[in-house]
Amino acid sequence: MSAKAKKINGRAETILSIEDISLSFGGVQAIRNVSFNIKKREILAIIGPNGAGKTSMLNVINGFYHPQKGTITYKGEKCHDMRPHLAATQGIARTFQNVALFKGMSTLDNIMSGRALKMKQNVFWQMIYYGPAQKEELEHREFVERIIDFLEIQHIRRIPVGKLAYGLQKRVELGRALAAEPDLLLLDEPMAGMNSEEKEDMSRFVLDVNEELGTTIALIEHDMGVVMDLSDRIIVLNYGQKIADGTPDQVRNNAEVIDAYLGVKYD
Amino acid sequence: MLYRETGQFKTSYASDQAIFPLVQDRWFIALVFVIAFAMVPFIANEYWLQAIIIPFLIFSLAAIGLNLLTGCAGLLSLGTGAFMAVGAYATYKITTAFPDINLLVVFIMAGLSAAAVGTLFGLPSLRIKGFYLAVATLAAQFFILWLFNKVGWFYNNNPSGSITAPPRTMFGIMISGPEATPMVRYYVSLIFLVVMGLAAKNLMRGRIGRSWMAIRDMDIAAEIIGIEPLKTKLLAFAISSFYCGVAGALFIFAWLGSAETEAFDIFVSFQVLFMIIIGGLGSILGSILGAAFITLTPIFLTNFPPMIGLPIATDLSKHLEEIIFGALIVFFLIVEPLGLARLWQIIKEKLRLWPYPY
Amino acid sequence: MEMLYAIFAAPFIDMFSDPVFFAEVVINGLLTGIMYSLVALGFVLIFKASGVFNFAQGAMVLFAPLTLVGLMEQGVPVILALIITAAVMVLLAFLIEKFMLRHLINQEGIVLFMATIGLNFLLEGAGQIAWGSNVKKLDVGIPDQSFEWGGILLNTFDIAAAVIAAILVAVLAVFFNKTRIGRALRAVADDHQAALSVGIPLRTIWIIVWSVSGIVALVAGIMWGTKSGVQFSLTLIALKALPVLILGGFTSIPGAIVGGLIIGMGEKIAEIYWGPLFGGAIENWFAYMLALVVLLFRPQGLFGERIIERV
Repeated sequence: MSAKAKKINGRAETILSIEDISLSFGGVQAIRNVSFNIKKREILAIIGPNGAGKTSMLNVINGFYHPQKGTITYKGEKCHDMRPHLAATQGIARTFQNVALFKGMSTLDNIMSGRALKMKQNVFWQMIYYGPAQKEELEHREFVERIIDFLEIQHIRRIPVGKLAYGLQKRVELGRALAAEPDLLLLDEPMAGMNSEEKEDMSRFVLDVNEELGTTIALIEHDMGVVMDLSDRIIVLNYGQKIADGTPDQVRNNAEVIDAYLGVKYD
Repeated sequence: MLYRETGQFKTSYASDQAIFPLVQDRWFIALVFVIAFAMVPFIANEYWLQAIIIPFLIFSLAAIGLNLLTGCAGLLSLGTGAFMAVGAYATYKITTAFPDINLLVVFIMAGLSAAAVGTLFGLPSLRIKGFYLAVATLAAQFFILWLFNKVGWFYNNNPSGSITAPPRTMFGIMISGPEATPMVRYYVSLIFLVVMGLAAKNLMRGRIGRSWMAIRDMDIAAEIIGIEPLKTKLLAFAISSFYCGVAGALFIFAWLGSAETEAFDIFVSFQVLFMIIIGGLGSILGSILGAAFITLTPIFLTNFPPMIGLPIATDLSKHLEEIIFGALIVFFLIVEPLGLARLWQIIKEKLRLWPYPY
Repeated sequence: MEMLYAIFAAPFIDMFSDPVFFAEVVINGLLTGIMYSLVALGFVLIFKASGVFNFAQGAMVLFAPLTLVGLMEQGVPVILALIITAAVMVLLAFLIEKFMLRHLINQEGIVLFMATIGLNFLLEGAGQIAWGSNVKKLDVGIPDQSFEWGGILLNTFDIAAAVIAAILVAVLAVFFNKTRIGRALRAVADDHQAALSVGIPLRTIWIIVWSVSGIVALVAGIMWGTKSGVQFSLTLIALKALPVLILGGFTSIPGAIVGGLIIGMGEKIAEIYWGPLFGGAIENWFAYMLALVVLLFRPQGLFGERIIERV
């Protein structure tokens, strides 16, 4: 067990707790009685075959879907279901499987929009611009520029994101999520469609965010190499149910997981 | 060669965010201002001011209003005419009831009334999207005009059914009524356009503009990053209607002098929509270019053929206008969905390279 | 108090005290509704088959009968004129596909919609230049007589319109659901590129659909034109089709009929029984308000499909 993992398990402070969540759409049961928790500052991976309910799980966490049963406890507050706005104000940010960027805006504007919750100046001052609104705009611009530096996307600042390559779009989306200074970051297949170089870059970003900023991260990912390297703990979903929950070593040797998903013992 | 950014380095975020980052652009705008403020009113004759330039300025303002709502926030509206009417009728009622209030204040109050009405008809926008929302604005368009037609209170029970701008002053200068000179009315329209246009530009480059564009591009994602859809959409309706309301007030008080509800009917709504499509959705400059195009083309069509010896009957020229507009809209949407504003940008980009081909 | 009584009680009392008249109002409303449905049908066809909301349908409803009348004025006999006009509409569909639709494949709905607005004005202008802009009388030989039936005043023309609409709907329903082409049309409406990739000839489909829609517009235009003269205001009927479509759904053929009936009936009843309270002309906005109220409760319209957003 890594030193960090020992530290986390020792402290055992939970940031998010999912209890007995069930979710269905019409006749289709997407999630069945799933419970798990996420500890502060850890990287949790959610894996499983397609259709297992992974994205639905993230959608429940940030309030986009509302479960029929179960409770979510976030930062100690229990609620039956989350609302997107509430999730955002409470420090949950996420990226999406099919990049959900604002295609008409530039990279800079997209990431700036991630600061929306932190910007307060009202309409009147916005119209005049010079004065409080400009001051606020420039403050946040500085913050966003640090994110841009971190993600190495300075050269595409002003380009409308619709024109960017897929891999870069995913990076911009990560930037937008980071702009909100989240406590919990949900990443839905952040490496999808990337080549190995891009995956290495992205992995480095994820690790840096977790180590330097202390952000808790939950990610869905299909690349087992990435999952095993990055995560402190893994949750395995199959047909909407949780079939394993443990460290990478534990999970890779779990017979049920191998049957359902991994196929062979992963070395 | 002349138009390039070489040597102009932005050393602060403030200068990077400026509306006109390039020095050449700033000179150009300064020139435009000089022409607009110091030269036009002395060069142009009354006919040009009254028939072309003043309506162009006023429609530009309405177009900016609609562009904020439809181009920037992505909420299709076919009710522009009605919101302009609210501004016009509100101005009329307020100033006839309280003749001593400064007309500037009355205009602002009229704009706020239009904003209130716009917000009301924008309420369905949380549940309804796209074309369906356009129906809500159509309901506004037809209902409001019907109301202004039927309920005598709105036009002070004037037997002719129309409203007439009474003579009023602003800071001691006669602005409306038969004695107001075209030059004064030109300046009033111009100042409103410049001030409100700048305000609109500021809105668009700040937090509010971004949240509108976010809602337009993907409202679900916007909600998830914390932008509140209903508030943002209502704000768009409110501000857009404010602009249209002021434009409507100027329509009567600074241009036509008097009008009936027909002056604000569905065709006006379509006209303004065409202005922003041809000019460029989401662009302030585009709104102005589009307004110029649509106000000038009829004049061009009536005056040009006789100049080259081909007289066209008014009937025919109206239909020709329709054909040309229709064809141009289709053309623009195929070739350059971003409109005249984008064409202007392309020209500037080519200028930056000139005289080199690439 | 008096106002409340006048709005919430008196009209209903009126209705019940003279049921025969009420029936007349309802039936006439329904018949007007059929006419709206005919126009709405054209929209549904194009939307169902290409996902485009064809704003120019209104102009087509004007252009078609205008051409017909123009031909008849030149002395062409009715049947021949009808055939030629139908051919013209097919030619028009061909031109629209070639010069407009082809270049806008897979653009967003709003872009296509705005293109059809442009097309609308183009057709209006062209039609009026070609055939003149005076109001024209149209008579294709449908009997137009009033008669009484059980105390209710009716008109043979309106009945004929209802019958024609019924036949048209039946034919179209069969066409869409039972034929190979109908299936291809539905595929195209769903996704242009996907349809192309399975080999559906997109362009041919579009020409077919716009032709059919053009002919429907011709029928609708003939009905409206006979009733109120062939004139520019016909294009405004198209705007009325929007509430009809909202009630009936954008892709449902029977829905267009139901929607039209509801709007027609609702409008008439509102105008006759509540109109006098407000000085009349409620018809101008009633349909839109009704649609708005429906949308507030069911954002997808009465018959539309529930939109489930996926992220």
